[in-house]
Amino acid sequence: MLIEELDKLKIETLKEIEYVQYDSRKDLAEIKVKIFGKNGALTVLSKGMKDVDPQERPRVGALINDVRKSIEEKFSDKENEFKARELNEKLENEKVDITEPSKGQKKGAIHPISDVIDKMIDICVKMGFSVVEGPEVESDYYNFEAMNIPKNHPSRDMQDTFFINENILLRSQTSAVQAREMEMRKPPFKIICPGKTYRNDSDSTHSPIFHQLEGLVIDENVSMADLKSMLTILMKRLFGEDTSIRFRPSFFPFTEPSIEVDVSCPTCHGKGCGLCKGTGMLELLGAGIVNPKVLEMAGIDSKKYRGFAFGFGLDRTAMILNSIGNIKYLYKNDIRFLEQMK
Amino acid sequence: MKITYNWLKEMVDINVSPEELAEKLTGAGMEVEDIVYQNKHLHHVVVGKIIKIEKHPEADRLVVCKVDIGQGQVTQIITAATNVFEGAVVPVSLEGADLVNGIKISKTKMRGVESFGMFCSGEELGIDENYFEGAGVNGILILPNDLKSGTPVEDALMLNDVVFDVNITPNRADCMSVIGIAREVCALLGKDLKKLNLSYDIDVYSKDVIRNFVNVEINTPNCFRYMAGAITNLNIQRSPLWMRARLNAVGIKPINNMVDITNYVLIEIGQPLHAFDKDNIGGGQINVRQAKEGEKILALDHSEYDLNEDIMVIADDSRPMVIAGVIGGMDSCITDKTTTCVLESAVFDLKSVRITSRNIGVRTDSSARYEKGVNVANAEMGIARALHLVCKLKCGKVVRGVIDICNKKNDVRDIVCSVKLINDILGIEVPTTEMVRILNSLGIETKALGDKLNCKVPPYREDIENDYDLAEEIIRLYGYNHYDSIEYKLFDKASVTEGQNHPRLSLEREFRKSLIEQGFYENISYSLVPGDINKKLMLDEDENKLVKIANPLSEDISCMRTSLAHSLLENINYNISVGNKELRIFECGRTYKAKTIPLNELPIEKNVLAIAVCENGFDFFNMKGVVEKLLAFTSVQYSLERSKKSFLHPGVSADVVVDGQVVCSFGKIHPVVAKNYDNPENIIYAEIDTEYLAELPVKVRNVKAISKFPIVERDLAVIVNEDVTVEQMLSSIKSSCGKLYFSVALFDIYRSQSLGDDKKSLAFKIKLSDMEKTLTDEEVNAVMKKVLKALTFKHGAVLR
Repeated sequence: MLIEELDKLKIETLKEIEYVQYDSRKDLAEIKVKIFGKNGALTVLSKGMKDVDPQERPRVGALINDVRKSIEEKFSDKENEFKARELNEKLENEKVDITEPSKGQKKGAIHPISDVIDKMIDICVKMGFSVVEGPEVESDYYNFEAMNIPKNHPSRDMQDTFFINENILLRSQTSAVQAREMEMRKPPFKIICPGKTYRNDSDSTHSPIFHQLEGLVIDENVSMADLKSMLTILMKRLFGEDTSIRFRPSFFPFTEPSIEVDVSCPTCHGKGCGLCKGTGMLELLGAGIVNPKVLEMAGIDSKKYRGFAFGFGLDRTAMILNSIGNIKYLYKNDIRFLEQMK
Repeated sequence: MKITYNWLKEMVDINVSPEELAEKLTGAGMEVEDIVYQNKHLHHVVVGKIIKIEKHPEADRLVVCKVDIGQGQVTQIITAATNVFEGAVVPVSLEGADLVNGIKISKTKMRGVESFGMFCSGEELGIDENYFEGAGVNGILILPNDLKSGTPVEDALMLNDVVFDVNITPNRADCMSVIGIAREVCALLGKDLKKLNLSYDIDVYSKDVIRNFVNVEINTPNCFRYMAGAITNLNIQRSPLWMRARLNAVGIKPINNMVDITNYVLIEIGQPLHAFDKDNIGGGQINVRQAKEGEKILALDHSEYDLNEDIMVIADDSRPMVIAGVIGGMDSCITDKTTTCVLESAVFDLKSVRITSRNIGVRTDSSARYEKGVNVANAEMGIARALHLVCKLKCGKVVRGVIDICNKKNDVRDIVCSVKLINDILGIEVPTTEMVRILNSLGIETKALGDKLNCKVPPYREDIENDYDLAEEIIRLYGYNHYDSIEYKLFDKASVTEGQNHPRLSLEREFRKSLIEQGFYENISYSLVPGDINKKLMLDEDENKLVKIANPLSEDISCMRTSLAHSLLENINYNISVGNKELRIFECGRTYKAKTIPLNELPIEKNVLAIAVCENGFDFFNMKGVVEKLLAFTSVQYSLERSKKSFLHPGVSADVVVDGQVVCSFGKIHPVVAKNYDNPENIIYAEIDTEYLAELPVKVRNVKAISKFPIVERDLAVIVNEDVTVEQMLSSIKSSCGKLYFSVALFDIYRSQSLGDDKKSLAFKIKLSDMEKTLTDEEVNAVMKKVLKALTFKHGAVLR
């Protein structure tokens, strides 16, 4: 009799627990009371043990325990199921619109010219170059005469210069640091000098103030081939591995031989586009072997030492790297322009 | 410089197209910037003869012409021109012609009558009266009768050359001429230069010799050579079409035969010449000398110039006739009436001509050549070529003899150079035979002897002095394309050097990164500013002496900036004007201050970092935070003082001071300055001496031990007068805590009417700790009592 009731209770209760829906999950607690409470069904049935034949008691006791355990497990399973679902629902409710704007201070941006200078410095320092600076308001001597450009020489026409007076001017080229460094340093050395330069010239492609990066290597045995290798590496690091360079003859009073260096257009990779005007190449810098006269003037023995020098236009490099169409943008400092440097 | 293809062909057998030639010249360093075909707008324009003219049946102003256009073809053309007549020979543009003024010719009907082309005026062919007689009339160009119908007009008018515009580098003065470029072409094509005809006939029937006409004296060191010849029985007239064609092609206006000859030689040989009217040379005396102060000259450009001792002149016995090498004078120039002329072929010091040209502000084709340097040997070739042309053009009789005073040696120079050195310079191996071949092709007679090259450099190559110069000659003709395929050999024979960034640039990079993280945009502004910068920033003129440009482009950029505040305030103004708001900007740049005025030494250039913010809610203390973050990158130990910067608000600004030196100032922009820049008042600015900070020793940290025992926290709020600073309070609290001090921080400031107008409540969080034990309440209370007592005693604080 008791055994049957216990079986029945187990089956019915398990079924009842099973049927409890998530929405009416509070019912679980009521069922619990109904079974295990002071007057709960199992509690009441357990009390019936005293009327059971003593020989049967162990069997009935085991059965009671089994029923209790089964029901408790069922409760626990069901509760876990509901908890998991509750958690999922909570997480679901906490969902945010991930496209809402981010919070906190927005980042600013570097100026394109600083960006190019930083990149070039990093590349060149690894190649053994040290970074130096020189005055922008410079003497005629260092800007011109020490660079083998004597007063009243036709080479002076190559640059329109801002003068302060007869002997002081705004440097028209970062080459002005060359002689200063040569006088100060003992070869061998490798230096680069980034900085502002000035020319009395202003139109759609020229700004009276612009930036150059000068490079100078003085050593016992350097050649045009070193210059070619060095510039090739620099250009590849700057514009990408598939970049190549080409030499063309040119003239600078402070180098001999002198060359212009064309760089394969990073936009079209030499195929020809608007940026390179269909030529596939961009004229980016001048370079050459340091004229022995320049070495001698700076007190370096030109029989023992030789060097090469190169000069970049940084504005143009920055414009190419960032597809900037107008040089005037570089100095307007319009936030709408600078924002695009992020 | 402009030269033409046909002119070059007269000197070299050119077997390549104009385009190929241009490419080769560019490849060798003579950059051809432009190639212009003269006949570009003359296709389908031919010589025609008007056979018959009839009235247009429907239009009074038009006539219908039957025109013979050669090869038996007669076409019909309607014209409104009134200067045409039966039998007139005229240029006829036919269907397909694309004229210089943009008119494209096609078959049309005019009031029902067909017209198959158009007659052309000189202007429509791109020529003027100087070039061709009749080309300047307002109407159709009437051509000479003897031209054959059907002849292309480009041939009839000699407009069939190809013009090159070549960029000659300053070292190649010898290439400022057709013959100079021709020499390069010879080297490039492996051809020989054809001999230029320099022979001329002397007037053998006359007993006159040159000395009877003129005497020359050189009284200045700036004239290297002076040659003079004379021509009698001058017959001034239009020069022949072939000569006009050449001059016209290179952009020189034909004038008359004698002037045209001088210009022709200028272009062909690069030798400027000058022709004097012999009758206007006072005393028959040519005196090359420096001008005297007070002398004047009326020049060929109709301007009068005041002369001085820096200017060289060609004078007669009393007055300057020519500004030497630059421009001739009106009084002595040849005219239609001149019968006898003296022809000058001279060489002047390039510096002297350059100074003169700058001095009077005149540049001519002549001065352009002299400034670059004319070789002494050129004078001789120039005068001979001119006299040859005088005979050829029959414009006069050449007098026996030429005066020649030469003060400068001009020989072939011997240079011995090393094959190994040249290859070491180039870094590639050029075969010795190639070196010899190239140098010889350039007219540098070269023989190889082991490692040595014995070179004989011709006088006109004054630019070649040493191995390096010869290396350049060799490689530019051997071809830079030999470098295209070399393997990397970066510094394989050179020393290893350690690369280092500049300390200040490294620090700026840290600062830049931090500022960008905090939302700042980097600016780079013009360091050239207007002259009123000090006034606008209320800066002391004496401490901020301006570096002024003597030749500024405009007043806006006439001085070097004395402060970056100017740049950032301008940038803020610009950004606001274009609608940009919330501005956080900075710039790393220099200021420039003269030591003395006028400048007798280089000014002081100083690198600073300037920061400016114009943003709602961003105040002095926000900027203080920005500054603190940056200074924390360095080992600087500093204190704050009220700032004396003229352009900052005196009450809302601070100086960061180290050993009495201000290394940073920050604060609100002075309202007057904000107004001067037309900016809002709420601009917060900072500037940091990055040079000073970059020089500091590296930051060394000194980490203190942390107690095992708990830290005790107590809050303390007191009321003090407004003039008591937080800094003073913090310092008093710290010293009163004694050795139990761990930290103290202000966490609240409260002001209200109930406290009183000049009162504020300050709340501090004080942390105490002991390395040895856990602090008891009694110990803590004792310290807090001491703190309060000190605050009350020193600062009049009242517990709140």
